[in-house]
Amino acid sequence: MKSINWPTILVIAVLALFPAVVPSDYYRHIFIIALMWVVIGSAWNLLAGYTGQVSFGHAIFFGTGAYTAGLCVTKLEISAWWGMLLGGPVALVVGLLIGWICFRLRGPYFALATIAVGEIFRLIATVWRDFTEGMEGILIIQTFRSKIPYYYLALFLAALCITVIYLVTRSKWGFYFVAIREDQDAAESMGISAFRYKSLSLMISSFFTGLAGAFYMNYMGFIDPQVVFSLHYISIMAILVGIIGGVGTIWGPPVGAFIMVLLQETFRSSFFGLLPKWISEAHILVFGLLVIFVIRYMANGIIGDWSKIQRLWSKDRELLSASGRN
Amino acid sequence: MKRAAVLFFASILLTSFAIQAGAQESIKVGIILPITGDKAKFGEIEKKSFEMALEEINAAGGINGKKLEFIFEDDTGRPDVARSAAEKLITKDKVVMLGGGYGSSETFAISGVAQQNRIPFLVATGSDDKITEQKWDYIFRLNPPASEYPQALESFLREVAKPKTAAILYENTNFGSSSSRSFQADCDRIGIKVLMNEGYEHGGVDFKPLLVKVKQANPDLVYMVSYVMDAALLMRQSMELQLTPKLFVGGGAGFTLPEFQKNAGKAAENVFSASLWYQTLPYPGAKEYYEKFLKKYGSETEYHGAEAYASATVIADTLKRAKSPSREDVREALAATDIKTVFGPVKFISYDKKTNQNKLPTYLVQWIGGNLELVWPKELASKPFVFPIDWEKVWK
Repeated sequence: MKSINWPTILVIAVLALFPAVVPSDYYRHIFIIALMWVVIGSAWNLLAGYTGQVSFGHAIFFGTGAYTAGLCVTKLEISAWWGMLLGGPVALVVGLLIGWICFRLRGPYFALATIAVGEIFRLIATVWRDFTEGMEGILIIQTFRSKIPYYYLALFLAALCITVIYLVTRSKWGFYFVAIREDQDAAESMGISAFRYKSLSLMISSFFTGLAGAFYMNYMGFIDPQVVFSLHYISIMAILVGIIGGVGTIWGPPVGAFIMVLLQETFRSSFFGLLPKWISEAHILVFGLLVIFVIRYMANGIIGDWSKIQRLWSKDRELLSASGRN
Repeated sequence: MKRAAVLFFASILLTSFAIQAGAQESIKVGIILPITGDKAKFGEIEKKSFEMALEEINAAGGINGKKLEFIFEDDTGRPDVARSAAEKLITKDKVVMLGGGYGSSETFAISGVAQQNRIPFLVATGSDDKITEQKWDYIFRLNPPASEYPQALESFLREVAKPKTAAILYENTNFGSSSSRSFQADCDRIGIKVLMNEGYEHGGVDFKPLLVKVKQANPDLVYMVSYVMDAALLMRQSMELQLTPKLFVGGGAGFTLPEFQKNAGKAAENVFSASLWYQTLPYPGAKEYYEKFLKKYGSETEYHGAEAYASATVIADTLKRAKSPSREDVREALAATDIKTVFGPVKFISYDKKTNQNKLPTYLVQWIGGNLELVWPKELASKPFVFPIDWEKVWK
């Protein structure tokens, strides 16, 4: 980063000033959730986008982080904030173990294995009632009534996650990751241990996802297995965030996270109550259409295909100005 | 690439400014219900009842001359969404109190937000015992807790059915899990041996492996805690497998909805269920509410609807008595509630570990001839119970 990166600074400044400018706790809440998804999406993207290992099981790490924080309260009787320290490392260890099993498989088989392991985690958390409270869930009372501490914590986590991933992708590791993504056999023949670097990528990814999970417990105050180990709402959402924003780009998942969270909330609340209620029932349909649109016209996501979008724009303008001259 | 991000963030910031709330005339109360998702059937019956009650309240002059307004939010049956909905209602719509709350997990999540923001919340249905065991002074519950649902069943089992063994099947949700736990304790107390107590994944379509296990265990009583689709499927598949215990009992929820009977058909016949309400109970307005609902919407209502209707009555009564619409005054007025509703008398008391809990008797209902009938306690019954049951004849 030789020159000063103005756009990045601007984004950070806008986000840092947001709670001061917008006094509504409701919008702050939406932004907190979006920032949390920035962390999960970016973490997923390191593994899937940069290393080429598509995971359908990021709920495992999210849930592990969340339950680590929750169990701090119910079993150890200490504050759930300890989960912010423990959640990441515990998820990392889980990630290491899962990688050890699942990285024997490649491509779609790896993806299938992560679905299976994700469901196993959810079922264990559901059935093991004495340990996890099962579906009765874990409820804590949040430390702060104000959204502001949570907002800045989420912003910090998002910034930390993006910075770490940025640095990793520009380091030797990052190039190894991409080499494995492009051609694992060729990478191995160059002396890169695919297993080792895939595991490293998964560890970083699971660490941040676990951290987001621990944050979720502290912020939301309620978890149950269907919420935090959900295939649909966590694992698939992580993938959508990545795909819509742009897989294998630094800024893709952050943009994808904001789009997905805002879209979800806009539809759930029927465009903030401006449109009739039945609109809210169409939100899943809209997700589907959006995914189809992005895959069909912008296979690299909004950020990945930004130059394409720009070209379209400038072409339009050229055409307009050309017709204007005539 | 980065410019894209900048443009993007700037534009969402702008739109969030653009959307701002309008003027405030009426008294606003937020109602959170599952309007879409798995639990939508219950949300629908409750929403209709809330709306019906609201029309009547406003037709009768509203709240001391001001119009009462219910703002409905959909929790989609997920606790995190319920939480967002509660926050929206409190901070954006500036409601004076909250009502609704269907699923236990969602109700729990809403309660946390309400307590933290010091907004009174009147729970209509969410029945996990823990909700009123947190010493939360802003949370009030109209309906009995899940552990008390089978009270009437207990005396029926003791006096009439006298089963020796039982199997408990429950949907793996907060309500299912906590209900099964408390029914297991009830069985232990009255000396019924529980042969199996198993949870299942909700939304499944094939319950036969589970039911075959039940058949092998051969219990006298099968107790099921399920929401609507599962309830119908469990009964239909029990019929197909000719699983014939002395009696099938549902733990409320799905087993009392008209949809249960529609979906299960003759497999619903003679199934018992715990219930919290019945239209022939000697409560003022109960029968009228039932008939009016039937006329207005062309379908029957049951205890969930009555809970919602009674909630609206309590909310209107509270707001009429509150000295001001401030949170503290509304809370005080709600705590001092002492009225009769279609759902029974409502008065919030503290007992055992619970605070601000309304205490009501519970009932046992049975599907007889395609209709839901109140069968226990005997003196209130709308029809005599059918027991023992000859399944071969019923299922023919």
